[in-house]
Amino acid sequence: MPADPFERLGIPRRFAIDRREAEEKHLALSRALHPDKQVGASPPERRAALSLAIEVNEAWRVVRDPIKRAEAILQLSGLEGEVGETREPKPSGGFLMEVMESREALEEARASKERAAVEAVVVSAKKQREDVEGELASRLDAALALPEVERLPALRATIPLLGRLRYAARLLSEANTARDEIDGF
Amino acid sequence: MAYSEKVIDHTENPRNVGTLDKNDDAVGTGLVGAPACGDVMRLQIKVGDDGKIADAKFKTFGCGSAIASSSLATEWLKGKSLDEAEAIKNTQIVEELNLPPVKIHCSVLAEDAIKSAIADYRAKQAARKSAT
Repeated sequence: MPADPFERLGIPRRFAIDRREAEEKHLALSRALHPDKQVGASPPERRAALSLAIEVNEAWRVVRDPIKRAEAILQLSGLEGEVGETREPKPSGGFLMEVMESREALEEARASKERAAVEAVVVSAKKQREDVEGELASRLDAALALPEVERLPALRATIPLLGRLRYAARLLSEANTARDEIDGF
Repeated sequence: MAYSEKVIDHTENPRNVGTLDKNDDAVGTGLVGAPACGDVMRLQIKVGDDGKIADAKFKTFGCGSAIASSSLATEWLKGKSLDEAEAIKNTQIVEELNLPPVKIHCSVLAEDAIKSAIADYRAKQAARKSAT
């Protein structure tokens, strides 16, 4: 991860971003750093521009993706040791059971090529992802606005939501793949 | 990333995929998840009258390494006593499947699933004992 993708793009570090503003900044920076604009620059300057251009692209890749954006916020806020791999809190049994049930239902619908059933999973996964993302957005940004002593525990408390967002995104992507498969893509 | 041959073999021909009746007193169910990657793994054991694991089944939605880790775990579990099963370490799975460092957490998940299936079985037995 680059030092700070928000800083790199020149946008505020928060979850709810102005997507258009971020995209425009990414484009403007990319244009300014493009090798075609480096005519007359010395080789070290060209190299610096190139590596900066790579960082800008990487920053945009992080910022545009809600999961990576949330991970970056948490990692940059002092929780880098608590996000990712096996470090995150274990999901509750009830939640895992729901995940298992929906994945099995999708698998069954995919195997029997029931388009309507697959479509139903797409719709519900999309809604689930939107709901979780909305909740994560408000809780993350509320946590970021807190005074320093309260900020860390409030941010930490959002990690399970980030996990739920990943599960919802995963289900949606599997459901989309299954639908494409049935449609012959 | 290249998977080892053993991982590919377990992914293409997973052993013991399926479900055991979770309401059966002889069955222990472990349900675990890796929130960092959105994986979910269910591992079940059926304990025979001799106290040894007579059957083991799994169902995993996740990457090849997670599927291979749980598939291998069910193979190893059959015929073992609960104590032997509990002694299975994720590092043995890593070694057998030749998992790269970034996939070690998949073996951790499988070890967690084994332990949680055994714990579920034991809790059921304890509940049955106290009921009689």
